Amino acid sequence: MTNCHSVRPLLPARAEELTVFEARIRAEHVAACARCATESAAYSRLGQALAVMANLEVEPADGTLERVLVAIGRRRTGVTDPRVLAAAGSAGALVATVVVARAVRQRRQTRPPVRHLPLPRRLRLPNLPVPTPALARAK
Amino acid sequence: MEVDRELVEAAQAGDRWALEELVRRTHRSVYTCALRLVGNPDDAADVTQDVYLRVVRKLGGFRHEASFSTWLNRVTTNVAMSTLKRRTRRFAVEGAAVPADARDPAPEPAERAEAVALARRLERLVGELPEGQRQVLVLRDIYGQSTEEVANAMGLTPGAVKVRLFRARERLKADLEAAEGGQVVALAGRRRATGRRS
Repeated sequence: MTNCHSVRPLLPARAEELTVFEARIRAEHVAACARCATESAAYSRLGQALAVMANLEVEPADGTLERVLVAIGRRRTGVTDPRVLAAAGSAGALVATVVVARAVRQRRQTRPPVRHLPLPRRLRLPNLPVPTPALARAK
Repeated sequence: MEVDRELVEAAQAGDRWALEELVRRTHRSVYTCALRLVGNPDDAADVTQDVYLRVVRKLGGFRHEASFSTWLNRVTTNVAMSTLKRRTRRFAVEGAAVPADARDPAPEPAERAEAVALARRLERLVGELPEGQRQVLVLRDIYGQSTEEVANAMGLTPGAVKVRLFRARERLKADLEAAEGGQVVALAGRRRATGRRS
């Protein structure tokens, strides 16, 4: 029988991690050595508990889900760079300012005048003789 | 983490609601995996966001050859490892990786109740392992990745992965016995004495 010292490195390993030879050595030794059998069983139990951990979930901090949803929403629009988003925000603000300014101006232009004053009547000029140019007078 | 294939396919087809539902159903699992790998809640939240950005980009290429959860775990592993490579600051591990509340995903069979209880206690001890050992143990023993997959993800040789894995298991068992007065051995001994059900 192999001694405990040489088998000890094999005890934490899963069966599929050992060669056929190593697996046989371990099995033979564990069958004959109560101490190593206990160790081997402890590792086996540890392995089972670790596998169960895959199904245990940790609750993320508040806002993590919302942050992810916002991020993927931006990704879907193709824009994720914060500088691009800042530039887009500035451009949007500028466009909004222009639109508002135009609307205000248009409103002012279409506002009805306060009072409709009657147009002044056209003055009729008397029929006066047309002045003769100086050159014609010289002839 | 259970995800319907129909939901994944709808998300692949561009259904915005399906994509958001996919995120809602899986984000805790992704966050948990990230937390176990990076060992820090803030980094885990960053990794979670980056994982889903990558998922949005790569989802069209997912061919259902593996389960969606397996694929998502691989994406999480890759993003977490990239984050760790970029990370320049170091974090203390004391308590950082310990989840505030671990939830049961579903009622467990009676014979697994002990393993579930033990798994809850292990969460803290796993978080206290050295970073390299912790990552190997998390990927191999918790998420069931092969030694080669772990080696690829971490940029190690398979031999180096095995060495770290051996040390991590050995230390974890010793820490657990120290914390609980040899309960792992006692439980195992009791199980052996009563006969293991197959």
